Amino acid sequence: MIEFFKYMKGYLRIRVWGFSPERFMNLCSNKGILLWDIVREGDVYYMCINLKGFRALRPIVRKTGTKVAILEKYGLPFFLPKLLKRKVFVAGLLLAVTFWTVSSRYVWNIELTGNYQVTNDMFDSFLQEQHVAIGMRRNALDIKELEKEIRRQFPQVTWASVRLTGTKLRIDMKENDTPAVEERENAGTEGSDLVAEYDGVIVSMIVRSGVPQVSVGDTVEAGTVMVDGKIPIYNDDATVREYRYVDSDADIVMEYVCTFSDSLPFDYVKKEYTGRVKKKNYLRVGNHELRLPQERPFLVYDSLIRESRPLLFEKLSVPVFWGTCTHREYQNVEYEYTPQEAESELNKKLISFIASLEEKGVQIIEKNVKIDISGDSWAISSEFLVHGPAGKSAATAKPESGETQEDAQ
Amino acid sequence: MNRNSSQKKEALVESLKLPKDICMGALKVTLTGNREAWIENYRGILEYAEEQILLQGKTCQVCFEGTRLSIDYYTNEDMKISGCIACVRYL
Repeated sequence: MIEFFKYMKGYLRIRVWGFSPERFMNLCSNKGILLWDIVREGDVYYMCINLKGFRALRPIVRKTGTKVAILEKYGLPFFLPKLLKRKVFVAGLLLAVTFWTVSSRYVWNIELTGNYQVTNDMFDSFLQEQHVAIGMRRNALDIKELEKEIRRQFPQVTWASVRLTGTKLRIDMKENDTPAVEERENAGTEGSDLVAEYDGVIVSMIVRSGVPQVSVGDTVEAGTVMVDGKIPIYNDDATVREYRYVDSDADIVMEYVCTFSDSLPFDYVKKEYTGRVKKKNYLRVGNHELRLPQERPFLVYDSLIRESRPLLFEKLSVPVFWGTCTHREYQNVEYEYTPQEAESELNKKLISFIASLEEKGVQIIEKNVKIDISGDSWAISSEFLVHGPAGKSAATAKPESGETQEDAQ
Repeated sequence: MNRNSSQKKEALVESLKLPKDICMGALKVTLTGNREAWIENYRGILEYAEEQILLQGKTCQVCFEGTRLSIDYYTNEDMKISGCIACVRYL
């Protein structure tokens, strides 16, 4: 810190020699002139003195009979006039400072995090409606109002925070990720049954509401009503007086057979890079791309674009990007699957199918996989014996009007 | 008489627990190892060489002897000597 102030005020390295340099130093300290880094070499003393002190040296020098010579000058008072001679440099510096100050008054980047249900496109159009866009003035932004509007517009957003850091507008939100509970009212419901999705045998059954129509061990066909959504209410003489309709709810596990089949053509096309590449650099400002005009680099090629933003702009993010576009030549080469390759490719498909089954909570009891050639392709067919939840809801069949009365009679 | 008055003054300063460097005009030397020394309450430099620095105090002189001695800074209040100090002598 002291060094900084010394630099700002300017100081000199001087050489002192003559009759009585010690007296010279004493007089300096008496007059409050700071001296530092005093070194003696032979009869000559070297020391540093601040600019103000140097200007007051003349009477001391005369009194002590010493001689003073300037060796070097340090500090801003000496540097500044030198700098001002370089007009273009100063102009550039001023321009840069002006550019940053002006551009820091605008919003140059909008970052959105925490959105899953609200897609980026949805949010972009929402921001457009709110007149929030890249390039708008920072003080035209009403953060509090924007937060309120987000919550008003998207009911699934439970919390929203809008922050302006530098020129970046950060929007964080939290969505309600617990599934919306549908409020079902039993009274007045039309009622629903649970029907079998597959042909199979019932392994276990826990019924929470509704009347079970089948029991564990029963063999059912797809479409069979397993839990009935109409609960009969009997008269004293065991005849049905009326039905109360409920939404049936049950955990039913069935043992059933499910199949999977897929096929793979004999040959496939693979990109083979020839190794010839052409690189082009470009600069992008906003949506405008600056690049040299270019002919079609190769007959068949793909392009790899690597784009980066300057690091300094991370905080003060002006939409300037640069990148390289690498064109790589390739040839389409046709290959034929060897039996091993075909098997492993098909196995991959099978594994992803099994994973999707497991996601549904299905347990595989037995499996039978066959890989074969059928026609002009490899084919995989597999049968699984599984235990899995099987019950979908369907509207309860209503008894025809008057039926209950007839029953009652 | 003179000695007597200085003794009295010392006794008074002692009893009032006043700082001696201010009241008696005594030199204050702070040494850090044998590399650095801070000196306060001096009058001026009498001699400055690489091997010896002689300072004038109010009541006495102090001589720092050693090798490669240099003055880091020098103001009216205090100064700093650095180098390899071998001996401090009061004259």
